[in-house]
This record gives sequence, structure tokens and C-alpha cells, in this order.
Amino acid sequence: MLSIEAVLRGVGAALLCLGAFAGLVSAIGFYRFKNFYLRLHAATVGTIWGCVFPLIGASLISVTMDELGEVKWFAAGASIVTAAIVFLLAPAGSHALARAVHRAHVARVQPCISDALDPNLCG
Amino acid sequence: MRAVEIVVLISIILGFALLLTLGYQYLVPADDIRALAKFYLLTTYFNPNYTYTAGATESVTAIVWDYRGLDTLFETTVFYIALAGCLILARGLYKEEKEASKPGSGLSVIVRSVTKITAPMIIAVGVSIALHGHLTPGGGFQGGATMAVLPLLIIVIFSLTPLIKRGFTPSRLAIIRGLALTGIGLVSIILAVIGLVLGINAYVFQSLPKPDAPLGFPSEVEGALMGGILWFFNLFESIAVVAAFTIAFIAILLIESKR
Repeated sequence: MLSIEAVLRGVGAALLCLGAFAGLVSAIGFYRFKNFYLRLHAATVGTIWGCVFPLIGASLISVTMDELGEVKWFAAGASIVTAAIVFLLAPAGSHALARAVHRAHVARVQPCISDALDPNLCG
Repeated sequence: MRAVEIVVLISIILGFALLLTLGYQYLVPADDIRALAKFYLLTTYFNPNYTYTAGATESVTAIVWDYRGLDTLFETTVFYIALAGCLILARGLYKEEKEASKPGSGLSVIVRSVTKITAPMIIAVGVSIALHGHLTPGGGFQGGATMAVLPLLIIVIFSLTPLIKRGFTPSRLAIIRGLALTGIGLVSIILAVIGLVLGINAYVFQSLPKPDAPLGFPSEVEGALMGGILWFFNLFESIAVVAAFTIAFIAILLIESKR
């Protein structure tokens, strides 16, 4: 019989591990990807998978930590709220960056299969 | 070249690992607090052994505004004079336009919606940093600087028109800032003036009642700590800093966009 604490702790630890793995993937992509938009995608992988999900996991783990006393609810709530705010802000920020760079014709889409917004930037 | 890079990288990682492994033996913070720090920690909050306390749990704010309030007043004045000089220097380089900018300016609807959602959060965090400055790390300047992020975001994302349309023109912001600084000045001398009128001993920058000066600001209201004069100073300072930063952002970005 699994207790609910064990389930929460396991799910939280899994989310933390997922975050660590996503951080590694994001770092490799950041280094290896060829153009600005792809590197921006790798950075966003690092913020959503590598920041939002570990924060939710930390909140689940802190709910089970009875030795923290009352403080555990503060830790859990702060983690959830931070995760929600990052979840809202990070895509908006990367979207604004990508849109500004594309509209200002700063970075070419390279390698390119098709660019519906502005074919001149392709290739 | 590759091999050299890898060797350098590995040696940096191993060096950090060595530092972290061995460093904790030597870099542990001392257990005993130094005598000066102990004095400040004991005197800032109510302590039955001390006659003079600041009545605030945040020692830094207590020291900045209560122990050495005159110094901080002059720092605020320096900031004010610097901003006034900046505005006078940039006079004529920007116009306070009332007409709406052309539609379609600003960023996309995604960024606009997210900014609308986060705007109240920024203001709430800034106000709480400013008004809890006597309880938790923070204070008027920090809270004001946090709140000033919002006008900057609005200028970048929605353009200047919404700010100007709601009456936040640089000249009006300068008036708000002047009023806030006047508030700081009045709060600092009001007890001394009352003491002069009533013939009671009172000091400039007096916060809590002292044994030889019975006048004072409340140390707590309804059980909530006020920190005496600190709460008023934080309030006025945050308003002044928000206005100052907004003026600076408007001036800088307008000059930039008119080129």
C-alpha cells in the first residue's frame, strides 16, 4: 500500500530529474543549434521544462516534509506561484525576442525549408 | 587546440570541485557575531535592556533612516538634483505629445496580454517591498525601483501614449516627486516644530519617544509594527523613486525614438 506522501515524493523527485535532464538538453542545444531561432527554442526548453516542472516537483516534495512544520506550506505555495509566473512570462519573452529579431531582419533563418512570414529571410 | 580547450575545461571543473570540497573547512562563517553588529541587532528592535531602540526588525532600514537619517536625506537629494540636471540638459530634445501614436505600434497581442496580467503583480510586489521595509529586507528605494519596472514595460510594449493619456507626463511626475520629497522633509521636522510650539524637548529626525523627548511616532498600530518614522520615510521615498525613474525612462526613450 503506497502512502500519499510516498507518491507525492516520487512524483516530485521524477519532476526534479526531468528538470535536470531538460537543463542538460537545453545546454547542448544552446551550444549546437545553428541559428538564432533554434537557440532561442533551446533556451525556452530550459525555462519551461527545466524551471517550471522542477518547481512544481519541489512544491510537491515540500508538502510531504513534515519536519519543516508550517513553513512547508509557504515553500509549496511560493514554488507553485513562481512556476505559474515563469510559465506565463518565459514564452512571452522568447516570443517578443523572436518577433523583434525577425521583423528587424537581424538574423536569417538558416538552414531554411520555408519561411511563410518573410521569404527573403530564408536561406 | 581542441585538446587544450578540454584540458582547460576539465581543470576548471576539478578546481571548483577541489574548492568546494576543501573550502568548507576554511570558509565557514564565524559563529560569534562581532560586537558592533551585536549592538545594532540588539538596539534596532525592542529590547528591555536598552532605552533607545528603533522599533524595527530590519536593522539596515533602521540604520539608514533612523540612526543616520540626515545622511540618507542628503543621498535622496543628490538623486533629485541629478535627475533635475538630466531633465534640464534634455530640455527641448523631447516634446510631451498628447496625440495617439499610430495603431499597430508596440508589441504583439501575446506580450500585451501577459503584461496586463503581470502589471498588478509588479505593483503589489513593489508596494509590499516598500511598506514592509522596516520588517523585511527592502525599503522605499528598492520598492520604488521595483514598481518603476511597470512604466518601463508599458513604454516599451504599449508605447508612451497610455502613460501620457493617463496624465503621467514628465512635468506632472516631477511635481509628484517634489511633493514626495516635501513629505520626507515635513515628516523629519514635524516633531521638532510641534515640540517648539508646545515647549517640549524634541529633535529633528526623531522617530520613537525618548526619555528626554516624549514626542514620537507610533511604534505600532493595532498590533502591527510601524517602526515609527521609518514607515513614512519608506512610503514617501518609494513614491519619489517611482516618479524619478519614470521621468528618466520617458526622457531617455523619447530622445532615442526621435532621432
